Amino acid sequence: MDFYQGKVLRLDLSAGTAAVEPLNMEWAEKYIGGKGLLLRYMWAEVPPKVDPWAAENPVILMTGPFAGTNVSTASRLVVGCKSPQTGILNDSYVGGSFAPELKFAGYDAIIITGESPEPVVVTIKDDVVSFVPAGPKYWGMQTSEIEEAMRRDFDPDAKTLSIGPGGEKEILWACLSTDQYHKAGRGGHGALWGHKKLKAIAVRGTGTVTVGDAKAFLDDMYRIHNEFVLTEDNLWANEEGTPVLAQVMSDAGVMPTRNWSSGTFDLVENINSDAFLKIRTKNRACYQCAIGCRQFHEADGIAGEGPEYETIALCGGNCGIGDIAALMKFNELCDQLGLDTISSGSVVGLAMDLTEKGIKDFGMRFGETEGYLKAPGLIAAREGLGEELALGARGLAAKYGVPELAMEVKNMELPGYDPRGAFGMSLGYATSDRGGCHMRTYPIADEIVAGALPPDSLDGKAMKVVWGNPAEGMIGENFSAVKFAGIWCDFWAVTPEQIAQIFKHAWKREFSEEEVFQIGERIWNLGRLFNLREGVEPDDIPQKLYAEEGAHTTGASAGRAIGTETFKKALQEFYQIRGWDEHGVPSEAKLAEIGVDVRL
Amino acid sequence: MPHVMISSKKCTGCHMCELACSAQHEGAYRPSVARLYSEVNPTTGATKGHTCLQTGCAKCQEACPNDAIVTKEITVRVKGEFPGKEKVGDTVRGYVLVVLDELCTNCGECYDVCPTNVIHEHPDREVAFKCDLCDGEPQCIAFCQNPHVLAVDLKVDKMDKELAPA
Repeated sequence: MDFYQGKVLRLDLSAGTAAVEPLNMEWAEKYIGGKGLLLRYMWAEVPPKVDPWAAENPVILMTGPFAGTNVSTASRLVVGCKSPQTGILNDSYVGGSFAPELKFAGYDAIIITGESPEPVVVTIKDDVVSFVPAGPKYWGMQTSEIEEAMRRDFDPDAKTLSIGPGGEKEILWACLSTDQYHKAGRGGHGALWGHKKLKAIAVRGTGTVTVGDAKAFLDDMYRIHNEFVLTEDNLWANEEGTPVLAQVMSDAGVMPTRNWSSGTFDLVENINSDAFLKIRTKNRACYQCAIGCRQFHEADGIAGEGPEYETIALCGGNCGIGDIAALMKFNELCDQLGLDTISSGSVVGLAMDLTEKGIKDFGMRFGETEGYLKAPGLIAAREGLGEELALGARGLAAKYGVPELAMEVKNMELPGYDPRGAFGMSLGYATSDRGGCHMRTYPIADEIVAGALPPDSLDGKAMKVVWGNPAEGMIGENFSAVKFAGIWCDFWAVTPEQIAQIFKHAWKREFSEEEVFQIGERIWNLGRLFNLREGVEPDDIPQKLYAEEGAHTTGASAGRAIGTETFKKALQEFYQIRGWDEHGVPSEAKLAEIGVDVRL
Repeated sequence: MPHVMISSKKCTGCHMCELACSAQHEGAYRPSVARLYSEVNPTTGATKGHTCLQTGCAKCQEACPNDAIVTKEITVRVKGEFPGKEKVGDTVRGYVLVVLDELCTNCGECYDVCPTNVIHEHPDREVAFKCDLCDGEPQCIAFCQNPHVLAVDLKVDKMDKELAPA
């Protein structure tokens, strides 16, 4: 079929063998690709209640139908597993050029099972798949080194997805890297690869992605680019990119500061968009993206891509760091070691807090760069105090008897939005299908960026969290699920109507906006069933966010507390809108209505 | 003569041009046989464009022992709005070099002399293939439309301007 290659590559790391099987097109019709198809495969491939570290827990790489075409931003790859960090589903997305290359090699997906007896690299050149011993030559390499090695030793055009030393040491928030700066950041995929002794997959594809009538498709994509992609709504990402959020969030009392003790960072001017624009050197784009949001910077001899807002917030404000060069260095260290910056900054900020409070001296204090810059290396090596930091925020805070200092949901450290400055985010974090994450729904777009909804209330937010307001650029869970099935990037504010126009090319039939939303709802419910099957913690937020005591004393969010009862009420409203019972279990009627094809 | 250039300074490395090129010529997406490409270093972000300079270079034509690479007059209509792009009018007339499949023996002489590495053996057809400016509607330029980028551009020389507008 056009757009799909119709093939799944199955890698058995235990046996060192590869096999090709047909893509399940019935599932593709229901769940499209990306997130949707990934979750359907996970339902079938993950043995129920499996220990995430067990050899039987697979890792699945899934592309979207539009990877390898001119559909802007749809080049993303999703990586899925039952996460060793959270124990529930984890779908982590990465741009760059890996997914299109995999499509050109002839595959829609890779299912990785088993664990290798020795460190291994898998190379894929079209239909030739090889298992190459990784040690000692490749094992231990930083992420840029392994990519360079694959271009040198395997194929000059190789696209590599790899772990760094952090993944090898099974750090819970180790990520997967590609094109050096692009990360499938969250959920500890890198840790699982390290555990399976899989250092990297390098792919080179020289084949074809068919789209039916290519000339008609080109004409329509040209139209879509000019009408919907290259517009003011999206070009901000090219002009400034996510650093633009730093000042906005700090002003709104939302930017995590000094381990979430404030939402306003007094040194934000040093690391806001204006500061980064002064040291910007160029823009880069992911494969098949007309927008090009990736900003290159150079300061004090440190050159590279990023940091993005989340890194600025967690590794900057949350660590009290207003030194732009130090922040860039920290970002570079995490990139090279293969560590997620959100979790890294959260844990280091917590260690600084423990030090400042006299609970335990980690040799790092808010705003001091020396200990701060040592932290990523210590964590990735599990050296000295790094072994304790590797516990993650929840584990570390629990060890010292101060669980209230850890800001996480379902053991995933929270990103750069303090819900006390934007209450809707609390419901988003609590109900996110992978733990503390801002990418499933973004009510803050209405609460702060557009100013359309009051930020200090949960009234009406449940509806927004579920359905969003995509015509106005606000993503809800159902819409993000279908958008990530595409797989479109957040930085194209695509609408359901535009998605319908593109789906039409693949499925040769009309889609209504309602159907696009329904596919998203189907995917979201499938994810919920998976999490319920595996055992998921109650949907909740850190206790600190509820209480008036400990509320911020400065900035726009000063004095605000979400309140336990208010939150509980909003959560029940959310379940009701979803057609779930009071414990968050989808009803049979709902599952039948939206066509979910599995049951608990 | 009209030819496509990629500005290394502006190119973001999105490869949209290669994708559009292959879809136009191959009837499907296959950038490994695109008629132009941008070489991207992921670490430094540096890019280097590889495009055919057409008759301004013509090394392939000179090297061909079978006269299979010929000069063809075309009218180029550039699609899209191009704020900040070189103003070339709506259309430009000029010449491109095209491969006559029936005369090409796939001897490889041209592959060796091309200074920009953009003439190759086609993996299926076993003849040389190269850029022909999409016979007048270059898709690479059409898909490099970000007003902040506009890296893929049509270049002309004096002679074209004398010919233009069509």
